[in-house]
Amino acid sequence: MTHPYALHETLIKLDDVSAVRGGRLVLRDLAAEIKDIVRPDVADQGQVIGVLGPSGVGKTTLFRLLAGLDAPSRGRVLVGERQQPVRPGMVGVVFQHYPLFEHRRVLGNLLLATRHAGIADGEAKARALLERFDLADRADAWPCELSGGQRQRIAILQQLLCGHTYVLMDEPFSGLDPINKQHACDLIVEVSRMAERNTIVIVTHDIREAVKVSDTLWLVGRDRAADGTPVPGSRIVETYNLIDRELAWEPGIERTPRFATFVHELEDRFRTL
Amino acid sequence: MATPVSLHRALGALMPNRSITVPIQLGIVATSAIVVVAAWQLGAGVIPAPAEVGAALARLWTTGGLFDALSTSVVLNLEAIAWTTAIALALAYLTVIPAARPLIAAVSKLRFTGLVGWAFVFTLWAHDGHQLKLWMLVFGMTPFFVTQMAAVIAALPKERFDHARTLGMSEWRVVWEVVIRGTADQALEALRQSAAMGWMMLTMVEGIVRSEGGIGAMMLNENKHLQLDAVFALIGVVLLIGVVQDRALAGLRRALCPYAELTHERTP
Repeated sequence: MTHPYALHETLIKLDDVSAVRGGRLVLRDLAAEIKDIVRPDVADQGQVIGVLGPSGVGKTTLFRLLAGLDAPSRGRVLVGERQQPVRPGMVGVVFQHYPLFEHRRVLGNLLLATRHAGIADGEAKARALLERFDLADRADAWPCELSGGQRQRIAILQQLLCGHTYVLMDEPFSGLDPINKQHACDLIVEVSRMAERNTIVIVTHDIREAVKVSDTLWLVGRDRAADGTPVPGSRIVETYNLIDRELAWEPGIERTPRFATFVHELEDRFRTL
Repeated sequence: MATPVSLHRALGALMPNRSITVPIQLGIVATSAIVVVAAWQLGAGVIPAPAEVGAALARLWTTGGLFDALSTSVVLNLEAIAWTTAIALALAYLTVIPAARPLIAAVSKLRFTGLVGWAFVFTLWAHDGHQLKLWMLVFGMTPFFVTQMAAVIAALPKERFDHARTLGMSEWRVVWEVVIRGTADQALEALRQSAAMGWMMLTMVEGIVRSEGGIGAMMLNENKHLQLDAVFALIGVVLLIGVVQDRALAGLRRALCPYAELTHERTP
């Protein structure tokens, strides 16, 4: 089923970005944009961008550039309505191992985020989010007492309480069993639909889950020369609009033949990168 | 009579990585104490017997001025621990400043220099014997404390710093949350080790500077007169005070940083 939508202003832009690390060209000539997706019939749509690529193609480097934690060797990463160069703190980041402040309880971790964002009534907002994400009874727990899934949710809530509209997630499905992968997918979609501009960028090599939750996919990889050797520097070799392919915003899409076909197509493409 | 279940539990104490109950733990401690005292009694002759040491302890306490000497040593050690903690933690936290790292590396290397050789230099600085002993102790403990804490800070994963930055914290706030508060449990553990080291050095320092007395000076005096029963009594007193101090610091760590041991298989 086709859903009507319109693309509005640019939210995140990679402007001819290249990255050299340790004298090696890791990323080259990255040019891509994430625009606000607006559905006329749905309020607070938000969106999810999946950044897919095999191991070792520079996904982590791209993740750090998007987070403002590292500067590109060339080009710019621009974020927000005013398209400012990204700096640490402008974009929410959920790292792979969900670091939290181990010396603070769960509520303390969340309040620290609200304090730094200057959010009034932080405790009420933090408790409301804990309630919404089934974590109300963990408010007084220490981070080391949380399960992996709970830690992931707290790490996301911390970023949301900071007022971040854009949230990057590094390998959100890594090490999770199938049930928890589904929970992570549900969580990502729910967070993206909490506000119109909410934009979640997931960097992953889990093809199925990325296709399941994303509206747009960036496939990162290396080109190959005529003799088959990889060309130095990865780039976004393909951008897939999953809305136009009728793979987004469809509950239970993972059980359809077109989903399986597309996943196979991506797996075949992976092998060439 | 021991049931098969309780016998099985008790034998678990001989297996690796087994959890044991508090009664079994107390039983092991009591048995060990009995074995040590029995071995001590059997070995008497070479070393004074437990009863002789007990009698010497009573003599030192009633007429030998043990209480005053002990008070002097405890006060000196607590002062030294306080100064060492303040100086060593300040230096260790300063490792976040690149320009300060060579200085802190140099302080760390001082642990390879002996304490005795520096006594003359400290004599020129100090106003009295107490101050001289204090600064020798601080000088002896600080390089070890700094080295231990600087290693803890250097091993902090980059992800923790980046996480704090993504919440919009300034770099000083990152230092406060990640480096200072985030390593508080390990700072208290380093403090425990340094405090124990303080008692070891104290007897030596009080031997070098005897003007104020103290338990170290008393031990050397008794040793000089071959009063081995008194020497062993004093060793026992130092051991007891050290253990009490260590348990107090462990309790302080548990109270201030209860999260630190939640995921440990066993508590130290």
